[in-house]
Amino acid sequence: MIRIRGLHKSFDDLHVLRGIDLDVNKGDVLCVIGPSGSGKSTLLRCINLLIRPDRGDIFLENVRVTAPEIRPEWVRQQVGMVFQSLNLFMHLTALKNVTLGLARVKKLDPANARERARSELEKVGLADKLNAYPAQLSGGQQQRVAIARALAMDPKVMLFDEPTSALDPEFIHEVLDVMTKLADEGMTMLVVTHEMGFAKNVADAIIFIDRGQIVERGTAEEIFERPGHDRTKAFVSKILG
Amino acid sequence: MYNVDYAEEIVGTLFSGLGLTVQFVAFVIPAGFVLGFFMGWARTSSSWFLRALGTTYVEFFRGMPPIVLVFFSWLIATLVLRRYLGIEDPSGPAFAVGIFALALHSGSYQAEIVRAGILSVPTGQLEAADAIGLTRWQAMFRITLPQAFRVSLPALGNEFASLIKDTSLLTVIGAFELSQTGLLLVIDALIDRQDFNLIFIVWTEIALLYFAVTFLVTRAVRGIENVFKVPGLEAAQL
Repeated sequence: MIRIRGLHKSFDDLHVLRGIDLDVNKGDVLCVIGPSGSGKSTLLRCINLLIRPDRGDIFLENVRVTAPEIRPEWVRQQVGMVFQSLNLFMHLTALKNVTLGLARVKKLDPANARERARSELEKVGLADKLNAYPAQLSGGQQQRVAIARALAMDPKVMLFDEPTSALDPEFIHEVLDVMTKLADEGMTMLVVTHEMGFAKNVADAIIFIDRGQIVERGTAEEIFERPGHDRTKAFVSKILG
Repeated sequence: MYNVDYAEEIVGTLFSGLGLTVQFVAFVIPAGFVLGFFMGWARTSSSWFLRALGTTYVEFFRGMPPIVLVFFSWLIATLVLRRYLGIEDPSGPAFAVGIFALALHSGSYQAEIVRAGILSVPTGQLEAADAIGLTRWQAMFRITLPQAFRVSLPALGNEFASLIKDTSLLTVIGAFELSQTGLLLVIDALIDRQDFNLIFIVWTEIALLYFAVTFLVTRAVRGIENVFKVPGLEAAQL
């Protein structure tokens, strides 16, 4: 589904990604862990071209999305993204947050867009919050609206950039539940997270990134219980306390 | 001291001045807003040229006293009319010149209000707009500007209130707006009637009329704020 080869990205003097090679199969859930500043978010943002890599190629179902003639808007319809900072459109209701992309990007007529948005919000358990504004919702509810907003575009892949890091602890599980259900339905997912429970139970594979390189890839058991590299060991022991 | 007859006598004259003041306000507020909107937007642009244009405009006109701007505009306008069009009557262009000068002045303040509004929209929302495949323009019109507009409204109301009273500067180019009408009444009171007390009556009535216009306009802006209010979210939290 996703094939990444030799990906490099620098911001001025800061070399953030230093040659990333990565394959993700259809239906797989890949968790990405690593210290802050290691390049996890940059990697995710390269996949939907929110950041354009300096070098290297990304293939999405054999389409080279890094090719100059590919429109970034097209790529972003194939790849949904959910952010740490929620990023709902604050002046629009939950329903309008979801219909905006349906109406303006997918060009659905208003009635169809509304119907589709309603069904997406029902799936994340927010059928009773259609007309609530983001400021009237909890962080967990807002993040579920954000997931519905991304799923409404029928993405082939979903990217999650620390989706629960900004949430109060009491709301984390409701977001992880939605993500687990999505994984069970066969969605291909890349998840930057420090939720070890989710990584252990849901991920097909975990990669550990440090200083812009993939240090190690393995199953949850391999990474958490018998990491092969010292850097992985040091990081894992820190986050597992 | 309070002369009821005189107070009633001058109301009609002052109302004719008020009429012109209201006309100025009706033109200057929209003209200044359009100018301020585009210049403020230009200052947030990724284009070097547009940013430079907006910044130059704001810095130049914000630093110039409005009374000088009004004088210069009028001098240039009468010069051009006289030399190239052969028009001698200097009162002719006062209305157009007044609108032009005050719109330039107020636009430079409104540009900064608009810029602050645009910058107040969190960049994360634009990233989210990108991520669902909206184009730059769609994100600008659907996400940034609607929120920037809401944030800008209180400050814009403030600027409109200030602008209404700035129209009194147009006295210097002989526009017969409210303050000019008042000045003529004062001269009349001093020279023809030789009654110093009447001056207080004139200026008190003028103050009340400016207050009424300002109050109506700021109430209208407050009404717009309420129409666009987002439940659960005050402007300051956007």
